[in-house]
Amino acid sequence: MAGVLDVPKPRINTSMLSQHISRPVCFVGRVEKVQPTGKTFTVSDGEGKSATVELNEPLEEELSGIVEVVGMVSNRGAIMAATYNTLREDKGVPFDLELYNEAVKLIHDFPQHYPFEVAASG
Amino acid sequence: MTKLSEGAIEALSNGTGGNDAVLQLVNIRKIDGGNGPARYRVMMSDGRYSLSSFMLSTQLNSMAEENVLAPNCICALKRHVTNILKDGRRVVIILEIDVIKSAKDVAGRIGDPIPYTEGQSKAPQSAPVPESRPPLQPQNKNEMNRVFNRDFGKKASSAMPSTPGGSSKVVPIASLNPYQSKWTVRARVTNKSSIRTWSNARGDGKLFSMELVDESGEIRVTGFNQEVDKFFSLIEVGKVYYISKGSLKIANKQYTSVKNDYEMTLNGESSIIPCEDSCDVPVVQCDFVSIADLESRDADTIIDVIGVCKSVDEVTRLTTKTNREVSKRTLSLMDMSGKVVTVTLWGEEAEKFDGSGQPILAIKAAKLSDFGGRSLSASFNSTLMINPDIPEAYKLRGWYDQEGHAMDGQSLTEVKGGSGGGNTNWKSLSDVKNEHLGHGDKGDYYTCIATIVFLRKENCLYQACPSQDCNKKVIDQQNGMFRCEKCDKEFPNFKYRLILSANIADYGDNQWVTCFQESAEAILGQNAAYLGQLKDSNETAFDEVFQQANFNTFVFRNRVKLETYNDESRIKATVMDVKPVDHKEYIKRLIVNIKKLAAQ
Repeated sequence: MAGVLDVPKPRINTSMLSQHISRPVCFVGRVEKVQPTGKTFTVSDGEGKSATVELNEPLEEELSGIVEVVGMVSNRGAIMAATYNTLREDKGVPFDLELYNEAVKLIHDFPQHYPFEVAASG
Repeated sequence: MTKLSEGAIEALSNGTGGNDAVLQLVNIRKIDGGNGPARYRVMMSDGRYSLSSFMLSTQLNSMAEENVLAPNCICALKRHVTNILKDGRRVVIILEIDVIKSAKDVAGRIGDPIPYTEGQSKAPQSAPVPESRPPLQPQNKNEMNRVFNRDFGKKASSAMPSTPGGSSKVVPIASLNPYQSKWTVRARVTNKSSIRTWSNARGDGKLFSMELVDESGEIRVTGFNQEVDKFFSLIEVGKVYYISKGSLKIANKQYTSVKNDYEMTLNGESSIIPCEDSCDVPVVQCDFVSIADLESRDADTIIDVIGVCKSVDEVTRLTTKTNREVSKRTLSLMDMSGKVVTVTLWGEEAEKFDGSGQPILAIKAAKLSDFGGRSLSASFNSTLMINPDIPEAYKLRGWYDQEGHAMDGQSLTEVKGGSGGGNTNWKSLSDVKNEHLGHGDKGDYYTCIATIVFLRKENCLYQACPSQDCNKKVIDQQNGMFRCEKCDKEFPNFKYRLILSANIADYGDNQWVTCFQESAEAILGQNAAYLGQLKDSNETAFDEVFQQANFNTFVFRNRVKLETYNDESRIKATVMDVKPVDHKEYIKRLIVNIKKLAAQ
């Protein structure tokens, strides 16, 4: 499983999760709710749809704002995070999640021009 | 079978003919009249009589040249005037005619018309000037006539004023020609020049000119010397006058945009008398061109436009090549074609113009330019009318308020500058080369997003004249003084200025560009004075600035132009403006472009 970081990880939104089961993905969303256990939290994408992120270790910090999660999609459609990274909004331009979502959809609309999936399977 | 108006020829030839007579064209013949435009003489028949003394007014010549008017075709005579020649013969001048049935659809001659001669039914002397129906009056009943004179049709029969002095009857400007001398026009002065003087080998003199308009057309009038003294002070722009006995000659189109084949010169016999009852004379004659049609017109043509003033820029002042300072204002004009064109106003018009409330703007005699696609310029010859009281204006207003305001309008003019405008001329660096930008007479401007890949730090700073607004390179006198050739002065100091060569690249290509002071400072992130100091004191730190500046991405606005040195031509690119990339804007633009490409 250590290989997740070494292979291509297509950027997806919530509605694409079901097509990426058991595959590594990259998900950018806004942190919505952190479970009291600290091992699960929900994120919403640019369309406002929620996804669940599961961690191996409980969070050691308070999580909020925009987060980029890299991990495998479980059979239940949750993202088993290998790593995550928060995008700080206090610096520079605020992240436009809707615009990002538009870009993600375009990547998937034109796989011939954005051939990440091919590389992932190969 | 179309029925001809039997009896119309008789009526026309004795001056009592009305309009809408349906006649068959029997013959048409070109009369070459010296250096003027060709005239066409036409023979018409009403089935019973034929008459050969019809003349086509010159603005209808195209109908003859294109064979629309051909023998046997059946026509409705919409508008005409009857002139009496010196020898008493009458000539019917056709001002407007419709072809009801083209020649090829007509079997042949209708009836067996015999040539009409006066006296056949009436003695010619018996009605020299019929009281009931002045023969030289325009027979204007045509609904499709110029929209300006919507009241004219009603008034024509009753309210046509007689000429003061009674020397001749009022005729429309369109019927004026050099072959008749007894006429009077009743027209409004729309434009009057100042008095100009000349002096050459043949002597000196003065002249003024003005433009006249009536419901039929317009004409330019010039007065020289005594006529200047006699008439110049009398003429007021906007007023209506009776004018008679001018000399007519072929118009020199080079100097005027007035739509008339002739122009008038005032002479010793000319008279100009103010007319009080003038409400039915149109204010200005315009022949509006749709904005969409501007693309197909040649540059430098003079045209009339009307449109909604969608947006207005602030007045700017600029200095011309002759060191004259002028005001300039640009605005966007849109019409029902949904197309938008940029119009430039100059001088006083630019300063006075109030574009608030998106007024309707009509411009007579605007100059079409191919600057940045197609644009218009209102020069001193142009007449500007804001919310004019004409039907076109009301139609446009209604259209704009209902649907036009929601339209974006497609601009014929490429807006340069790109300061927030949606019309920035975005190009990739390979587009610039593939489209041969800069190969024209004037430079081309484009905007691109590119990354600095190399900066030439050698010779990027020079020692410039320290006086304000002078950036001339100074000569080191080697005695602690620096000489500026331009200011012709020596200074104990100088200021550093930047002239930076940079290589910029995007996904497809790269390009050497020259950056001057402000743009170079923006790229390097340091000001020129500090850089000069570093260069002299701390070479390492100076190099570091250039290292740091590499691989930064900016929005560049560049000017490219082909320049030739020693017979060698190459494209020179100069950076006009450097701005940080607005990523959101950039992404939005990319998404729009991708979707556009996908839709193709």
